Order: sequence, then structure tokens, then C-alpha cells
Amino acid sequence: MKNIFARRGSIEDLDDSALVALAKEDRGAFGELYSRYLKKIYSYVYHRTGNTHDAEDLTAKVFMRAYSHIGNYEDRGLPFQAWLYRIAHNIVANWHRDQGRRKIIALDDYVAHSLKSEAPDSQAEESEERAQLMQAVRRLPEDRQQLLLLKFIEGMSNAEIGAIMGRTEGAIKSLYHRTLLALRDDLQQMSEPAPERRLGGTEV
Amino acid sequence: MEPRCEWSMSSQADIKAKGALDALTAGLQAGEDVDDLIAHSGATAAEAEGLVEIIQALHNAITPVEPGREFSERLRDELLGEHPGMVKRVRQMPARVHVAAALAVIAGCLLFVIRRIFGSGAPQEIQEEAVATPL
Repeated sequence: MKNIFARRGSIEDLDDSALVALAKEDRGAFGELYSRYLKKIYSYVYHRTGNTHDAEDLTAKVFMRAYSHIGNYEDRGLPFQAWLYRIAHNIVANWHRDQGRRKIIALDDYVAHSLKSEAPDSQAEESEERAQLMQAVRRLPEDRQQLLLLKFIEGMSNAEIGAIMGRTEGAIKSLYHRTLLALRDDLQQMSEPAPERRLGGTEV
Repeated sequence: MEPRCEWSMSSQADIKAKGALDALTAGLQAGEDVDDLIAHSGATAAEAEGLVEIIQALHNAITPVEPGREFSERLRDELLGEHPGMVKRVRQMPARVHVAAALAVIAGCLLFVIRRIFGSGAPQEIQEEAVATPL
């Protein structure tokens, strides 16, 4: 027991690769990795699914899978973070496939989340705009969604995103440009007057 | 040669626009002022395309989301085995408990086999009682 407590303080100071090596034998080390990445992975999954229930379910699957496969993980140019995001991406992709359709039901949850954290009246309009934007983001192909989330949640560089997505830095830069253009066009179409278009509806 | 020149120029502009978009995004992430960024990062190409607003909107919309505390703690417990499942719980027990459990199972099996082979008075007595007792 003494050893465990003595090591606990130093675990937090370890970098990811040392921690991963330790986590193959020590649950406590995996606990530290969990603490480091839970919020990031949850944020990523939440923005990909758009609701708390599925975000929790899929986040749990990501960490369960990481935990059960960490023995096989070797840092061959793919950092642990990138490996974890790849797991998250695969699990979310499978989830979307299982849904059988592209589900954009996130609006209510999204607005609720926004309103919870902001002043209810003054920010309501902004929340609607935000929800519209997120709907447009979810209409993008998966790789583009992934790119935007990694860039804006994580503030990752193109090189880091490229490592996760298995593409070159230049390819990510081009994809980002095309993604922004596509978003702009989609939002322009959405803002065109259409009496039947109602915010709050479910789009498929 | 002319088409090649045009391609070259548009390609240059394209590269410049992509660079400006990257600089803008990184600057916003770092909390820098948008106007300053546009002024200093040569973002006019991106601005002309109307992408600056999109980047700003994405920056405001895609923010980290905190998982619930109850969920975080529950998942940690599940992962780290503080409330493990039955199989894990059994595996984590000390060796002496495993030995004791194995002995108990063997003794139980032996007792069962012995009773089957040599018979026992108990079932017969029960049957007799059942016959003797009117419904």
C-alpha cells in the first residue's frame, strides 16, 4: 500500500507515453489517463452525437475499449491522444451507422445546454443561431465534422489532426478550407426565407 | 502557357487563403482580437470569401462540454474496479479464498455422488410421509 501512495504523487507528473507504459500494469496509471482525457473525449462525442445520454454511453465505450486494448498499444508515431481519438471516432461512426440514418435531434438538447450555462433571455437568440450552426456541422461528412471538433475543441494543429485522421498536414489544411466553404454555403441556404422551415424541428 | 499562369496565380491565392484561415483560427483559439487578426494576418482573401464569420461562429459554438460528475465517478469506478463485476470480483479475491471455494465445490460434489451411490433414507422417508398424509 505504501508504494501505491508513494507513486500516486509522481503519476501526475508523468507524460502520456510513460503513463501508458505504466498503465499496462497499473490501474492507477490508467486512472490518471482517464482524468486527463475524459473531458476532451466527452466533448468530442457530445458534439458528434448532440445529446447527453448517447455521449455518456459512447464515452464509456471509448474508455472501456482503451482500457482493454492498452496492452496492445505501442507508440509508433501515433501519440496516445491520437489513438484515443481514433477509438472515439470509430465508436461514433459505428453508432451513426447503427442509427441507420443521420440523426439531427440535437437541437433541443443543444439549446437546453446553452441556456443552462447562459442568461436565459438575452442569449436565447444566440443559442438558436448556435444550434443552427451545429445542425449544419452535423450535415457535413464525418471526416469534416471530426476536423472541426479537433480544431475547435482541442485547438489542435493541422499536423496533430493529420496524425489522428491519417492524412498529411497539407491535406488537412485543404479539407479545412473546403469545409468552411461548404458550411458557408449551407448556412446561406438555410438563411434564405422559407416559411415552412421551423427551428426546433427534427431534420434527417 | 497562359492557362498555366492563371492556374499558378489561383493556386497562390488559394494557398494564401488557406494560410490566412489557419492563422485566424489559431489566433481566435488563443483569444486574440478578430480585427487585429484580420489586419495582421493577411486575411483579406478569407474575409472576401465570408469565412471569417463562420470561423468566429464555430469558435463560439464548439466549446468543451463538461461530463456530469455522477457519470464521471461511475465510469471511473467501473474502469478502475472499485465496483467490479462478479467475474472481476472473484478474480481479485486472494488465492486462499479460491482454494477454499474449490475445496467446498469438490466436497459438495463428493457428497452428492456418495448420496447418489449409497442412497439415503431421507428421500424415502419423505415419500412415505407424503403417502401417509391425506390431502
